[in-house]
Amino acid sequence: MVDALERVTNLVALLMATRVPLTLEQIAGELHEQYPEGVAAMRGAFERDKALLREIGVPLETEVLGGSDAGRTAYRIDRARYELADLALAPDEQAALQLAVAAARLADAQFGLLKLGGDRGSLPVVVANIPELEALPALREAAAARAEISFGYHGSSRRLEPYALLLRQRYWYVIGHDIDRNDVRTYRVDRIEGSPVIGKAGSFRRPDGFDPRSVFPSDPKLIGEEPSARADVLVDVSRADVVVRELGDDAVQQRRGDGSVVVAVPCANEEAFRSWLFGLGLHAEVLSPPELRASVVAWLRALAGAA
Amino acid sequence: MSGRRGPRPTGERLRRLLVILPWLLERGEASLSEMSQRFEVSESELVKDLELAAMCGLPPFVDELVDLYIDEGRVYAGVQRLFTRPLRLTAPEGFALLAAARVAMQLPGADGDGALARALAKLAAALGDDAVVVDTPQPPATAAVADAAAKCERLRVCYWSPAADRRTEREITPRRVFVDGGAWYVIADDHLSEQSRTYRIDRIESWEPTGIIDSTRAVAVPKIDTWFEDAELPIARIRVPASETWVAERYPTRSVTAVADGWELVVSIASESWLQQLLLRLGARSQVVEPAGWIDLGPRTARALLVRYDAGTHAGS
Repeated sequence: MVDALERVTNLVALLMATRVPLTLEQIAGELHEQYPEGVAAMRGAFERDKALLREIGVPLETEVLGGSDAGRTAYRIDRARYELADLALAPDEQAALQLAVAAARLADAQFGLLKLGGDRGSLPVVVANIPELEALPALREAAAARAEISFGYHGSSRRLEPYALLLRQRYWYVIGHDIDRNDVRTYRVDRIEGSPVIGKAGSFRRPDGFDPRSVFPSDPKLIGEEPSARADVLVDVSRADVVVRELGDDAVQQRRGDGSVVVAVPCANEEAFRSWLFGLGLHAEVLSPPELRASVVAWLRALAGAA
Repeated sequence: MSGRRGPRPTGERLRRLLVILPWLLERGEASLSEMSQRFEVSESELVKDLELAAMCGLPPFVDELVDLYIDEGRVYAGVQRLFTRPLRLTAPEGFALLAAARVAMQLPGADGDGALARALAKLAAALGDDAVVVDTPQPPATAAVADAAAKCERLRVCYWSPAADRRTEREITPRRVFVDGGAWYVIADDHLSEQSRTYRIDRIESWEPTGIIDSTRAVAVPKIDTWFEDAELPIARIRVPASETWVAERYPTRSVTAVADGWELVVSIASESWLQQLLLRLGARSQVVEPAGWIDLGPRTARALLVRYDAGTHAGS
């Protein structure tokens, strides 16, 4: 039995060189004795080879034959689809991409760079940790091809025209037009249940100049019913600088003599607001609105009595 | 990619071979040691796969698939008809390249109209469309810290430590800057403690160069989400209701175990004040199980904060 690498290399060569699609019987005939004897064993080995080629990205064209071979499947590789297009990267562009890939340290990017003729660079001074998720490549392709996707999310099924992927904080989001809700929606990719199903390419248009950052709530505290709702929060001097830097000078309502500040903070999403508030530990106090202050006090009383 | 099954060994070998052959063809010849380094494969594996490729062929379709021979540590390639171009980028490769370039565009020193932007445009055009957006704003000190790291220059900084809840003046030599989970960090030699420390750049409140240049020192960067565990931090066991699984997503947990009605998390505790914040957020339905000293930390913290509210201190405290 030949080394499996020899057989699959020959298979790729054969399917690239052939002008007409070849059936399994024809392929096995050309690859003399490289496939095991017996129809079932031969088919099993061929199926494994096909899966292997798909896994590494070799585009396999299939065609169901008519005429005297009606119903049989034939295969070939379209060389134009197989081959990497020349990006014609200038030397400085190549170097910049190389540096980016070295900084990101993603194995798939490093291998892609090898295909583009780039080199593995040494680790730069500034590096990035990019969260990886299995669904991302397919979602990106769907967005690029304008293909509708469907997926499970929080137990229900969603249909989305994906406009873009956004990496923000530690999460990847897919943003697009939710078909059933007829609205632009944002979904966290790591919460997608199972593998998304990719529909037909070219099924929608993305609005010109669409920027996911403009529709994504810039502050999780803004995801809620009434985006304009604001709370006044008193922040002690020890945290004042940090908070003002985070919220901007516009948020400052009052600066007190002891160095503490009162800031206006979005509070439409009470849970997100509470999380932000308690991040300041003992150093912040919500002043108004009164209902929110009462709600925070009730939360604290429940915890205080929980020992 | 976590959980993704890598190509099987034969697939991995073929994937590499389909990159090596066009590369070799373009050059005509190359040394085994150079190729071994470039394609991250041992010389013996390389020789094995190349010799196998040289044997491939399917007369009359393809006579001699690959015309090559190996002699005294060098590989020579002749004319070939197939495999003259690398295999196209796969979906994961295309995505990873775009993501890497997009993230790099947000790193300090990136030039919006420069070479990387042009490379990105070409890459996006080849891959149909870009569709990847990265939004990682830099804290004010980032560029200065990255610049100091490149020059090995000491900086005098004022750093606010939430763990100790105080500001300290210290001199640090930045070694490596990294972004993880939207936050920027610098690994630096701290000249106060004489140790290597990791700082969050958004907590560097002021900074100035000292003009002192230290010798270079290589430091490794921890992989995503694991770097927290490297620190020798105490741990706490916390029971949370099933509805509060966000804790496990948002914080680096060492383990998550299903228990009745919820989860038991083992969490690295950076400091008591950090744990206080977490317990305030979790509220009454969560409970520290271990260590004993922290079991009533949540209720105690809530009572301390209630003192503020009950006193109606907002007239000014």
